Amino acid sequence: MLNKELVAASTVPLVLSVLGEGENYGYALIQRVRELSGGKIEWTEGMLYPVLHWMEKEDLIEAEWREAETGRKRKYYRLRKEGRKALAQEKQQWMTVHETLGKLWNTPQLST
Amino acid sequence: MDDGPRNLGKIMEHTSTFDINNALRFWLDGLAESPRFRPTDLVELESHVRDSVIQLETKGLSSEESFLIATRRVGTAEKLEPEFAKINRSPRLVLIHLAILAFLSTGCWLLWVLLWLPLVTVGDNPPGPLPGFTTFVMGCKWFLVLPPLLGLAYCVFVCWRKPAPRNSWVGFFALSVGVLMLQMFPVVIAIVLPIIDRLQKLAGHY
Repeated sequence: MLNKELVAASTVPLVLSVLGEGENYGYALIQRVRELSGGKIEWTEGMLYPVLHWMEKEDLIEAEWREAETGRKRKYYRLRKEGRKALAQEKQQWMTVHETLGKLWNTPQLST
Repeated sequence: MDDGPRNLGKIMEHTSTFDINNALRFWLDGLAESPRFRPTDLVELESHVRDSVIQLETKGLSSEESFLIATRRVGTAEKLEPEFAKINRSPRLVLIHLAILAFLSTGCWLLWVLLWLPLVTVGDNPPGPLPGFTTFVMGCKWFLVLPPLLGLAYCVFVCWRKPAPRNSWVGFFALSVGVLMLQMFPVVIAIVLPIIDRLQKLAGHY
């Protein structure tokens, strides 16, 4: 399990990255992160929504209420242009950290 | 552990046979007690819990177990409230800021009015010469307009942009009182000086 600070710091890049795959809604977004991290990244699920709403206010993402296949209303989020730029920046920064730690620990590098 | 819905006891008490809709309604009512959650937030959280319950039920859990796990994963109202507060402006908080702005503006206006007093106390027609400090302070009275304007700008910032923390008004109030006190000292001295001057003249006259 990751520590709280790292989970908090990685929330926005993770959300941006998952939405980079295509539009999604809160629950599915959490499931995707859980699946990719092998359950190592665990969010207090309700905490994701204030983050999504903040990202919406910052024009990184946009949202739309739609009816799901179950007939319930669901809010779908997708990346905006600013969000794509932010994702590129986040990618660069996290890769820098990853590469630096990789060199220090002599582990194979991921290709960017 | 502080995990679990705020009104879990109430939910269990009201559900001898578990009804997911009832349980959700009680759970949402608990959240709705806080002004930090907007109705659309609650719709989104409800949708999330329903999705989570469906997913857990496919793993063989009962509705009740699924509901308890789903709500626990979402987090308690106490945990969620501060996070939603950063995003949702509370109308109460805005009102408090406006009340402080009104207090600051009234204070500055009163000081402005009080600065006419030296002319009254001098009493002569035309008024006699005022002490230098009084004349200086009266000349600077336009600065009294600044604090309310800055306060107004801060309130606009709080209302439209800043995800205001719960007690952001405390600093604004303390600063307003401080500014008023700082302005009051020279104004009081500027008012008292001509009175002393006048009394001294009267004492010399008699």
